[in-house]
Amino acid sequence: MTLTMEGVLALAPDEASAKAARGLTSPAKWPLLGADDAAVWGECQGSGSKPYQTQVDLSGPAFRCSCPSRKFPCKHGLALLMLRAQDASRFAAAEPPAWVAEWIASRGERAQKKEERDQKAVERATERAAQIADGVDPAQAASALADPDNAFKRESHRWRRIEEASAELQRWLGDQIGRGLGALDDASIRGWRTMAARMVDAQAPGLGQRIAAAADGWRVGADWPERTLSRLGLLKLACEGLARRETLPEPVQADLRTVCGWPLDQAEVLAAGERVTDRWAVLGVIVEEREGRLNERRVWLHGERSRRRAWLLDHAHGGRGFEGMWLPGIAADLTLAFYPGNAPLRALIADASPTLEPEGAVGTVRLAGSESWQDEWQRVAERVAAHPFAMLHPVVLANATPVAADAGPHLTADGRAVPLLVGDADWWSLMAVAGGHPLAVMGEWDGRALRPLTAWQSGTKGPAWSRSAA
Amino acid sequence: MSAWKPLLPVAMVGTDRQSGPLPEWPGEVGALVAQVGQVTSPGQAAPGTQAAPPASIVEGPAGQVLRTMAVIATCDAAGTQDRIWTAPPTEPAAVDRLAVVPERLDGIEGVAGSPRTLLRWALTEAPTRLQQLAFVALAEANLRLPEMLLPLALDAGRRAVALRAPLLPVLGERGLWLARQREDWHYAAGAAGDAPGETPWTDGTLEQRRAFLARERAADPAAGRRRLEASLPELSAKERADLVAQLAVGLGIDDEALLDRLRADRSREVRDVALDLLLRLPDAAHPRRAVERLSPMLRRERALLRQHWVIDAPEAASADWVSDQIVIARSSTEKLGERAWWLCQLVRQVPLGWWTTTTGMTPVELLAWAIKTDWADAVMRGWFDVLSATREIDWCEAFLETQTPLQTHQAAQALQWLPQVRRERHWLRHLQQGALPLSALVAAASGGEMLGAELSQAMTGQLLSRARAGTLKDDYAVRAMLVDFGAVVHADSLSAYASLADIRAADETAAHAEQLQAVAQTAALRRALLALSPDPTPRTS
Repeated sequence: MTLTMEGVLALAPDEASAKAARGLTSPAKWPLLGADDAAVWGECQGSGSKPYQTQVDLSGPAFRCSCPSRKFPCKHGLALLMLRAQDASRFAAAEPPAWVAEWIASRGERAQKKEERDQKAVERATERAAQIADGVDPAQAASALADPDNAFKRESHRWRRIEEASAELQRWLGDQIGRGLGALDDASIRGWRTMAARMVDAQAPGLGQRIAAAADGWRVGADWPERTLSRLGLLKLACEGLARRETLPEPVQADLRTVCGWPLDQAEVLAAGERVTDRWAVLGVIVEEREGRLNERRVWLHGERSRRRAWLLDHAHGGRGFEGMWLPGIAADLTLAFYPGNAPLRALIADASPTLEPEGAVGTVRLAGSESWQDEWQRVAERVAAHPFAMLHPVVLANATPVAADAGPHLTADGRAVPLLVGDADWWSLMAVAGGHPLAVMGEWDGRALRPLTAWQSGTKGPAWSRSAA
Repeated sequence: MSAWKPLLPVAMVGTDRQSGPLPEWPGEVGALVAQVGQVTSPGQAAPGTQAAPPASIVEGPAGQVLRTMAVIATCDAAGTQDRIWTAPPTEPAAVDRLAVVPERLDGIEGVAGSPRTLLRWALTEAPTRLQQLAFVALAEANLRLPEMLLPLALDAGRRAVALRAPLLPVLGERGLWLARQREDWHYAAGAAGDAPGETPWTDGTLEQRRAFLARERAADPAAGRRRLEASLPELSAKERADLVAQLAVGLGIDDEALLDRLRADRSREVRDVALDLLLRLPDAAHPRRAVERLSPMLRRERALLRQHWVIDAPEAASADWVSDQIVIARSSTEKLGERAWWLCQLVRQVPLGWWTTTTGMTPVELLAWAIKTDWADAVMRGWFDVLSATREIDWCEAFLETQTPLQTHQAAQALQWLPQVRRERHWLRHLQQGALPLSALVAAASGGEMLGAELSQAMTGQLLSRARAGTLKDDYAVRAMLVDFGAVVHADSLSAYASLADIRAADETAAHAEQLQAVAQTAALRRALLALSPDPTPRTS
């Protein structure tokens, strides 16, 4: 793993932690610094009499510190990695002290246990898949297998509850259209929220979220009726799908399961998901704060040989950072396991630990030069047709010039334009980088506007611009 | 979202009240809508039994609208793309001739981060003085700011007017282009700031008019004087005083006539400015009359074998004094007696040069003589008043070096009138004698010009010894100015300055740790700028 300051800063849970960490990068603060192949560690003089013991497992990187901070990673862990990135020679190559060795060993044990668990799940899933392929009824296949944790029974129970809830949702949707959107008032919107809560109770939180989003959009913006109709229309589509779920192809069933907010177990994805080995280049990275201090990270990838797109989705709670240093412009040889679906995009890394290197050659030429805007829209249209519930689409618009128009920031090319969803600071730095000249811009298309994440200049190595951390 | 338009009326009113045939859509979307309306809903017909009625019958009008919505939502999402753009394309930025600040500086000791990262830090967190220094250094190196930093730099210039002039040369074509794209960056767009023509004079603020007049005086003193003279009737007293003071630029005997008239201005402030300027014209009539008045008061006497100078005060006021702005009546709070007052008034209208040529004494000798005379207070006060207008260096030095009964604020003033190099000698002496608190010296030295090597070394040394003794962290006044000091410390002392950041106390606060980090960043930025400079030998001011 190549450590860079930028890479370390990307791990910081927030700007304050990054700043505090920079303040601790003086070697004088660290009476003890050590490292071996697996980890770096150090003792940092804090405000107390006893120094904090800080350690980083480089395979993650994973952090541990004896300080009481609730931030994760804490400033000490970040500072330790920054010191390492700045000057590795300050770290004495040494046998790890007991407090480091024990932790690394316990991490190894945990990883091994998880691997064993995953392995078992993989074996079960493979066996079941084999039996289904032999023509055995899925239900029988599952029950025939030793099903120690009653997983299959629980699964069919949950489907039953969701189907009942979906039938109720259908009737409710009919009532709303019967009464008309014009008749909506505060009381009826409260009713929508109750309905959303019922979906959560029925173990279909995904449907609940979509109802809540429709309630939030009531009377927001001039086109709220159209947007509400679109949301309710997709809910209707989901209900129709759920009602005939068993007759639908498996990938579509998987999409419906995702729409209900019932994700597949990662082990199952790793076991049964489609695997694609390629050189995957990071197109863009975005970290967004969701409700309740939950941070969501989306990493968009592009397979250089397969020309496939993929996204990695992670969540972290309450100021914890994310594992793995994903920065736009780096690429890695990886095997991804895709979640099943009719237009698979979300994936997991099937390899143990990827080695990421800065990718010099990811430029506009290989990335987007060959694809016109029309090709990109075609990709989006095909994906929507296969999976109408998809909400975000990775799009790379080549030859795009940022323009500050009266109607707000836009990307333009050849008499066409796309509105942008971008913060002020990011917008002006994008303008500065472009200077009225075209760029290749990667962003997330939400059906109305593009949220730009990364931009490349033709003929230069690496991205010329990327969205600043949230 | 025009695909929704046909459906909006019924969706808003509700199918309960408006049930009728659904609108139709053209093309494949319409075909799909029609097809979906005919599809059998699951659960309405058991497998194997006869075909169930179409969903449109079973679910009623609301269900039919919902199905249509599901189709339109999907088709709309699949079909929404870019839109037509008819606005004329904007002119792209011209190609930059200047090279951009490099990404890396390899092999430069003490520069850990990239110069761009350091500049970003300076633009977001450093004081204006350091930003200014960075802009000037980049301009000297013929470099421009990297594109990503342009918005930060333009914002910094928007907030601090002092930054605008040094910022302009490092913006490059890209920065100038960017400034044109946003209203509050127009100050850098090229047109407003350095427009030729008389706009700054006719429409500008007082600051702009002052700068304009100073420029014109430097280029063509007579033209500047004529412009000022023509405008005098319409100026307020404050503006008159302010702008008349600009005659100091390119002052010459040709200005005498105007100054002589201004001696009689309605405003006391303007009169004082005119008199001060006349003191710098020893050949003008007014100072010559003043010399004629004073000469009889000074005579040489012989006592025993030695000759010595004696000063006397006038016995009575003369009628012609008033027309030369000599105030005969002293105020009730005046400490000088009447004759001393008159003498002081006469002295303050005579250029200091007359004293040295007449007596053959140096300013130091004159001060030593004056202290022993009977009229010491009157003479020295008069001299100091003249000095405030003319600021002769040797007289400033004489006042600072002689044990005169000067007030502290007068000493500070005399120090301020000295050029930087001379001033630093006094600062150095204060530092060595411990006469002033370190914070006062750091405050005085920071924010101005680059400090000399000797003073920088001495001040950094003191800071270091305090840091080692652990007292620096408790000296809040000094602590807060460390970065400002870093912006003016001499290049030779940068290493010592940077080592401040390595002296850490166990019980330091987070705020102090941050300040020390800022010290390290400042030192790194200074080193990076020196490395970028075309002439890497440190500049001595």
